[in-house]
Amino acid sequence: MDGPDRNAYEPIAPRGHESAIHPAFGVFVPMRDPGSLIKTRLTPLIDLANSSEVGACPMNATERFLLRRDLLKILGKASGGIAVSRWLGPEVALAQEPTRGKAIEPFTGPGANPHWNSVGPYVAEPQKAPLLLLTDRPVQLETPRHYFRTAFTPNEAFYVRWHLEGIPNAVDLKSWKLQIEGNVNKPLALSLSELMQKFKPVSLAAANQCSGNSRSRLQPRVPGAQWGNGAMGNAMWTGVRLRELLDKAGAKSGSLQVQFQGLETGQGPEGLGSNLFLKSLDLGNPVLDECIVAYLMNGEPLPILNGFPVRLVVPGYFATYWTKCLTWIRVLNTPDENFWMKTAYRVPDTPRGNTTPEDVKAGTLRTVPIERFPVRSFVISPDGSSKIPAGMNVALRGIAFSGFGRVNRVEISDDDGKTWMPAKLGEDHGAYSFRTWELSWIAKSPGRYSMAVRATDEKNNTQPDEPVWNPGGYLWNRIERQEIVVGNAN
Amino acid sequence: MEKRTQAIFFLTCCLVMAAGVIYADLKKGYYSPAELGSVQQTAPIELMPDSNYQVSAYPVGALELAVGDGRQDVQIYCNTCHSPRYITMQPPLPAATWEAEVNKMNKAFGAGIPEENTKKIILYLQAHYSTENRKQ
Repeated sequence: MDGPDRNAYEPIAPRGHESAIHPAFGVFVPMRDPGSLIKTRLTPLIDLANSSEVGACPMNATERFLLRRDLLKILGKASGGIAVSRWLGPEVALAQEPTRGKAIEPFTGPGANPHWNSVGPYVAEPQKAPLLLLTDRPVQLETPRHYFRTAFTPNEAFYVRWHLEGIPNAVDLKSWKLQIEGNVNKPLALSLSELMQKFKPVSLAAANQCSGNSRSRLQPRVPGAQWGNGAMGNAMWTGVRLRELLDKAGAKSGSLQVQFQGLETGQGPEGLGSNLFLKSLDLGNPVLDECIVAYLMNGEPLPILNGFPVRLVVPGYFATYWTKCLTWIRVLNTPDENFWMKTAYRVPDTPRGNTTPEDVKAGTLRTVPIERFPVRSFVISPDGSSKIPAGMNVALRGIAFSGFGRVNRVEISDDDGKTWMPAKLGEDHGAYSFRTWELSWIAKSPGRYSMAVRATDEKNNTQPDEPVWNPGGYLWNRIERQEIVVGNAN
Repeated sequence: MEKRTQAIFFLTCCLVMAAGVIYADLKKGYYSPAELGSVQQTAPIELMPDSNYQVSAYPVGALELAVGDGRQDVQIYCNTCHSPRYITMQPPLPAATWEAEVNKMNKAFGAGIPEENTKKIILYLQAHYSTENRKQ
């Protein structure tokens, strides 16, 4: 195959920053002017203060700003402000100091990340809406919470996670072929056109979740991509059954596993995990019958960052097996012992993959490759950014899913788990899809409410309320909570 | 005496009302200087009806590493495979975890960082990004 045009990165050049090509690697290394941060932050304020557009007030904006703040402080201290404003009329009521929206802290810890999402800035990557940046090279992006109001996650908002920095910037479909090779009777090389024409297309709704989704919840914190809850997405995947391709090539007797390789490459030495990202599944694993080699995602071509031209879909399994830009399907007659199978993406062979730092240190822990994701559910709205007036009948909304089958019960508790109210489930798009839920809820009186949500799947797995800890930061599925502030309605 | 009390009461009311009017003014039209448009819209790339499917370059951010001894070693060696955001994204980590991470890069990933530079990188990360040292 011709090497696709890989690995083109362009520096974002914020004001006051200069960039330079790093002499040793030809990699763009932006240089920072030490004074630039201060300059950038102050410039708009000074500009505004000196501007004639501030208004008729002879004071400049800074002074006006300070005067208001001081008055507020004085009024606040007298603490008669609100009481007096009551009889001054409704216009005056409820006035509060408008606070300037501050940028979020750029990291969290050593405590757990208290936010629903991770804390990076928004970034606009090719074919993507602005998403939350974890890392820029290789690219890791998280989906903001509000995109989970619907059962299907839009392609442009779907999270992104690559392991190696050689991510393709282009794929030439004239030379690209999906190759089925290794321990087979008849190796195949299929163009995208052949995949679309010669095989019956099948569609399946399936949730895709990163093994490390919610890693930033773990205590003590573990190294790795510090995901909030947005390393997940759900899509309608359309493509060819993997089983059909394997049958056509014909695995020879003695075959053990099938290995998947995409176009992703790294700078590391050959044979190491820093050079290639490889994942394998046992040939006897029944999940192979459900796998799809997908060329459509929600009825559209996949964004390159999500695996154009084709991606492996492994329903119910963590995304580590969903190879992006899938190009080589290799039948093996020896077990795959590459880094990404033997060392990485392994979980303790214990209930929920739970362990302790002490047991890890003792070095006696048996581990197994991570597989299916446990049942999870989330409150998506309200998200805690607004108050709810007491007595208002509001809709609580969210999603639930499980790698072990259909979610058939979602319950909400507003009394910290003493009583549970059943939520109404949305349309059933299939066993592996996100399922929306909704519950109308009235806050009787003002105060702070902690809404807990838990889901149960058809295998009767229910979310527990205990945390999980393992050194990889995998398998988090504790009951989620959303604080809701209810205000006075009169 | 009573008149004096009345006058004080009246004056207090006036003051409170005046303050109230200013106070009421605050809940409207409050704007604050801020950096807008920090995520710029990107122009669409030109598409050709051929077999090549391409996207523009992936954006990389400015270097945000703390200033200190060993920073240059991080820039040279770590930056080969990943940007420094892999470091700044982490929560504060124990010194031993940073040592293990750098050793993993050499042993599992074959980074081949010379011993002296490896030591400098570990010390740098421990000095700026550990539980004891990282405050912001």
